[in-house]
Amino acid sequence: MKTEPTPGTAGWPPPVLDPAGPFAGPIQTVAWVLFVMAAVVMVVVMVALGVALFGPRKWKRRVGGERLIWIAGLAFPVVVLTGLLIYGLTTTARVAEAPKPGEMRVRVTGEMWWWRVAYLDDQGREILQDANEVHIPAGRPVVFELESADVIHSFWVPRLGGKTDMIPGRRNFMRLQADAPGTYGGQCAEYCGGPHALMGLVVVAHAPKDYAAWLSKQARPAAAVPSPQEPLALIAQGRNVFNASGCAACHTIRGTEANGLAGPDLTHVGSRQTLGAGILPNNQGTMAGWISDSQALKPGNRMPSYPVLTGQDLRAVSAYLESLK
Amino acid sequence: MAKTRGMASGLLAPGLLAFALSACVDKADLPRPVAQGDAAEGLAIIREVGCAACHKIPGVAWPEGRSGGGLAGFGAKPLIAGRLPNQSDVLVQWLIDAPSLDPGTAMPPMPLTRDQARDVAAYLYTLDED
Amino acid sequence: MSADPRFDAAVYDRFPTNDDRPEGELEQLEQAWCGPRKPWEWITAINNNYVGVYYVGAAMLFFVLAGVLALLMRTQLALPMTGFLAQETYNQIFTMHGTVMMFLFAVPAVEALGVLLLPQMLGARDLPFPRLSAYAFWAYLIGGLCFFASLFFGLAPNGGWFMYPPLTSTTYSPGINADFWLLGIGFIEISAIAGAIEIIVGVLKTRAPGMTLDKLPIFAWAMLIFACMIIIAFPSIILSTLLLELERALGWPFFDAAKGGDPMLWQHLFWFFGHPEVYIIFLPAAGAMSTIIPAVAQTRLVGHRLVVLAMLATGFISFGVWSHHMFTTGMPQISINYFSAASMAVSVPAGVQVFAWIATLAAGRMRFNTPGLFAVGGLVIFVMGGLTGVMVAMVPFDWQAHDSYFIVAHLHYVLIGGMVFPLFAAIYYWTPMSSSRPLSERWGKWIFWLMFIGHNVTFLPMHLTGLMGMPRRVYTYLPDRGWELPNMISTVGSFLFGLAVLLWAVDMLRNFRPFGKKDAGNVFNGPGLEWLPSGRYSLRSIPVIKSLYPGWDQPDLARDVEAGRYFLPGAPRGQRETIVTSPITAEPQYLQTLPRPSSWHVWGAVFTAGFFLILTIQAYAASVISGLLAIYCILKWCWRLDRPSGPAKVDVGAGVRLPTYVSGPSSHGWWAMVITLIVGGMVAIMACFSYIFLWSRRPDLWQSPPDLGSLPLTLILLAAAGVGGWAAQASLKLDRPRSAAIAAVLMLVASLAAGGAFAAEASAWWNSGLRPDASSQGATVYALLAWQGLFVGIGLLMGPFALLRWLFGLVSPRHPATFELIALFLAFTAAQGAATTLLVRLFPGVTA
Repeated sequence: MKTEPTPGTAGWPPPVLDPAGPFAGPIQTVAWVLFVMAAVVMVVVMVALGVALFGPRKWKRRVGGERLIWIAGLAFPVVVLTGLLIYGLTTTARVAEAPKPGEMRVRVTGEMWWWRVAYLDDQGREILQDANEVHIPAGRPVVFELESADVIHSFWVPRLGGKTDMIPGRRNFMRLQADAPGTYGGQCAEYCGGPHALMGLVVVAHAPKDYAAWLSKQARPAAAVPSPQEPLALIAQGRNVFNASGCAACHTIRGTEANGLAGPDLTHVGSRQTLGAGILPNNQGTMAGWISDSQALKPGNRMPSYPVLTGQDLRAVSAYLESLK
Repeated sequence: MAKTRGMASGLLAPGLLAFALSACVDKADLPRPVAQGDAAEGLAIIREVGCAACHKIPGVAWPEGRSGGGLAGFGAKPLIAGRLPNQSDVLVQWLIDAPSLDPGTAMPPMPLTRDQARDVAAYLYTLDED
Repeated sequence: MSADPRFDAAVYDRFPTNDDRPEGELEQLEQAWCGPRKPWEWITAINNNYVGVYYVGAAMLFFVLAGVLALLMRTQLALPMTGFLAQETYNQIFTMHGTVMMFLFAVPAVEALGVLLLPQMLGARDLPFPRLSAYAFWAYLIGGLCFFASLFFGLAPNGGWFMYPPLTSTTYSPGINADFWLLGIGFIEISAIAGAIEIIVGVLKTRAPGMTLDKLPIFAWAMLIFACMIIIAFPSIILSTLLLELERALGWPFFDAAKGGDPMLWQHLFWFFGHPEVYIIFLPAAGAMSTIIPAVAQTRLVGHRLVVLAMLATGFISFGVWSHHMFTTGMPQISINYFSAASMAVSVPAGVQVFAWIATLAAGRMRFNTPGLFAVGGLVIFVMGGLTGVMVAMVPFDWQAHDSYFIVAHLHYVLIGGMVFPLFAAIYYWTPMSSSRPLSERWGKWIFWLMFIGHNVTFLPMHLTGLMGMPRRVYTYLPDRGWELPNMISTVGSFLFGLAVLLWAVDMLRNFRPFGKKDAGNVFNGPGLEWLPSGRYSLRSIPVIKSLYPGWDQPDLARDVEAGRYFLPGAPRGQRETIVTSPITAEPQYLQTLPRPSSWHVWGAVFTAGFFLILTIQAYAASVISGLLAIYCILKWCWRLDRPSGPAKVDVGAGVRLPTYVSGPSSHGWWAMVITLIVGGMVAIMACFSYIFLWSRRPDLWQSPPDLGSLPLTLILLAAAGVGGWAAQASLKLDRPRSAAIAAVLMLVASLAAGGAFAAEASAWWNSGLRPDASSQGATVYALLAWQGLFVGIGLLMGPFALLRWLFGLVSPRHPATFELIALFLAFTAAQGAATTLLVRLFPGVTA
């Protein structure tokens, strides 16, 4: 088996300049246009400054008058900026097209410091809940309904598009599309206190038919899939520990008695790519580490550390959660 | 509370034992265990798998998990987890499926191939400073 | 306002005079303006030559302190997931870095530069309200230091310098950290506004005769626009901090969405201040650039008028761009387009200034001294910041760049290039004016290059870091994101910058020797009046100005000024005095008596700072006592005002006789009162905006206003207050027997009428069942009432104050200034009360 780095925002190539969909692509073009504009203007300024400081007297005389201000300081910027503005406004209109009826909807709610994800049907009703990972079909636009449960957060998946704030009392919309299946990193971009730095997110785009399969699998209640190493008995013990230790007060695992709402839904936690909102790889080992001491891994997060579990209980509960594929 | 104490003493006893053992054995004379693996590759695997979520590991800046012991000086320790002989084949098996060697351990089986486990073991054996 | 038809410009031809100055005149002048001798007198000093230097020094102290915080942050971010700073510590530090740089360094630094330089440049002996600047300075220093010290107790604010609720509401910030910010910024706002009033009146009213607006030095233009912008912009932050503190302390839901509030209201109010703030910081620095560049190139500023127009345009447009900080908040497309266009437009006047500077350098011949290097270096950096500014004004690009390190890079390029480099240029350029030794040129060049390279090494990579996806305000970042290298480079660069600042501090310690008998003089051959030989009284005599560059164009100016051949060559009444001139044409109008040092303003500042800081730690009784003491000190200070003595007219040279007392619209006090009232009115306007904004969010929560039957009483009482005040000062001026007594009693009655109107209105709302903590309507209605209550409260201090002055025999028909100003205040209070009452009573009116 080949291990992969935790999916997240990859620094290189710069995700803003490496778009993966039609809502990020035009922005990349805008960015390059702007870089060229900036380079040209910078050259103009530096040449003028160079002439002013070191140029021969004849050249200096041409630069050293009010004419320079009228031409280079007023006319030139007005022309450049007007062009940019028109280009910018048309691009804005294109990228920020209003959602159309019939487009797939996902509601993402920012919470301190994770993401609640709900998939909606055509009527806007919630089909199922998940957390910290958004699955979308590739090749078609998806409408994100962005809300906040506490403070202001900002939803940003740079390879798919710009960011949009999640503001208490408001609902913002953003359309994103991934052209190809793959994993796209994102994170909270608005300072939201405490461990804001560690509030990551993963968007997974599937080929359309894989997406349908994923959705129907996800809609099913929790099913423990035993691993070769961890026997079913241990998984059953883990489920008891989960409920007995109070985990169920905050977490829901559909199909079991666990129905807490404060924390992320864990119905299929074992199939997620990351733990702790995009900060750790997800396997039984990291799960055990997270449960027993999440405060060391993501200081200030809302889940208390559980150092009280015995070794065997810890392993059982981590085996149970990892079995929830 | 009872559980806390149980776990604490469970960790404490082997820890004390290991300390006592290491104290009476001259480190210089101890044959250094080796593993046929690539230590550099091992470090990369450690980062990707997230071993440091539980263990503080020299060379891994983050995370600095506290639930399993720190692994500084692991290469010079005589025992794995305070009870198994620190030999490369034991370590490789331990890394892949610790419960198979010690059913009571908190360390879960890890998603590593045997080759990967050997690389990880090779890296752990480079850790000889406390 | 306009030129006085009785003024005859021919009197200017009498100067310079030829007669010998009388014996002892200079000694009398020196005696009137003598500097501090005893240690305590260094604190009570109010002369701008002292307070200005203190002020600049304090601002630079905060620059260094906030810079140290920056180095701590850069150390933390050098490597991923380091534990150098704990999360909470980092969050406090980044909040304090921004807050201290903006509120305790940038605004005070440019204001300090104004206090120090303006009287010198304008040929005034001092600014018109020296005690007010001293008060502003001490409140700022004491308050600022205590505010900064909160960091050492872990009590520093941690919500970011922008303090967005609901993160900063009690639910998510239960500690007193956020209160430190809200109250700590409170007195800094007061001191900024005090400084702005001082600067506006100073620039408009205390210029040397003949210095018409077209001969006004460009720096003074910049400071004038800067101060006007403070008057318009700061009320918005005053209101927003008040509202958030009210929400935190009393639960009035302005920003709490659950009760009809809206977090976006904060963003609108904050950025309506926050974006002009950037230009508020930039304009004075640009004014300094426009002064320094001609001096280092030894030629006139090319396009002087264009530059003035550009600065005015910047001031206007900057109030129309605030929402470009909010492109990602889901604003309607139409607003986004408008703010995008305005944000681009605001870069045009900046371009005009940049090319004016380049043209000036080309027209002259650049001398590569330290001020010149800092000016040119600042220009280059600022242009780069301006270009990234155009980028983020492009909405789609901003959606990616917003809140990423790209913005961190952009804003530091703008602020360091647009303000810090010009400030260092200014420090190197003007030090010889204040210090007996100039700063070291050799060190200066080292410092410049270190700072220039350090800046670019720090911030250039951050553009890329942002495009690589790194958000700002993160206390750490994960490994394997590819952000390690640019972050490490930035950290190295920041320490180069830090080293430059350290070297500069050493250079200051080595060479900066202020308050001496002689200064180093006109090292750079600048053309301004500030380079004429001067003493603590500034110029020996105040010259007639005939040129924009008097130092270059008026030969023998220095000699004649020093020989006392111009206006006011002495202190004819043995007091501190300066000539007040008309605002546009600078015709001499009267001789203003300036205050002497005293300690009341110092204690007033101590207790003002004490009031806010003690309030933070919730020791309410102690805080109220401190507040009362502050009021007492300020009343003691006011008690000494408006007490003319000596002859009604004096000869200020060449037989020109000026009155020593003036009231009404040509007096400096009237101007200051009007500007203060504009500040109050702006707060009320922003509060009305908040009321309408929150109504538009949740009209369903609005309940009906109290029955309109109670409205006439309120309006009649308000009218009585306004008319009564006016009648009081009018009857005083009638100069009949007992008219002073009638005036005093009328004034008292008018202030009581204002109080009655307030009580009637407050009880009407209370009886209607509306409670301030119930809904956004309750919160805003009672906030408007509270603001009116503040004015009524001050009015209720003024009424008895007028009566007391009459009882003590201090009221005379020929000296009506105090009564005029109180009447003005009461008229404003009545108008404000009527406007806000009508708004909340009639809009949206009765609801179903």
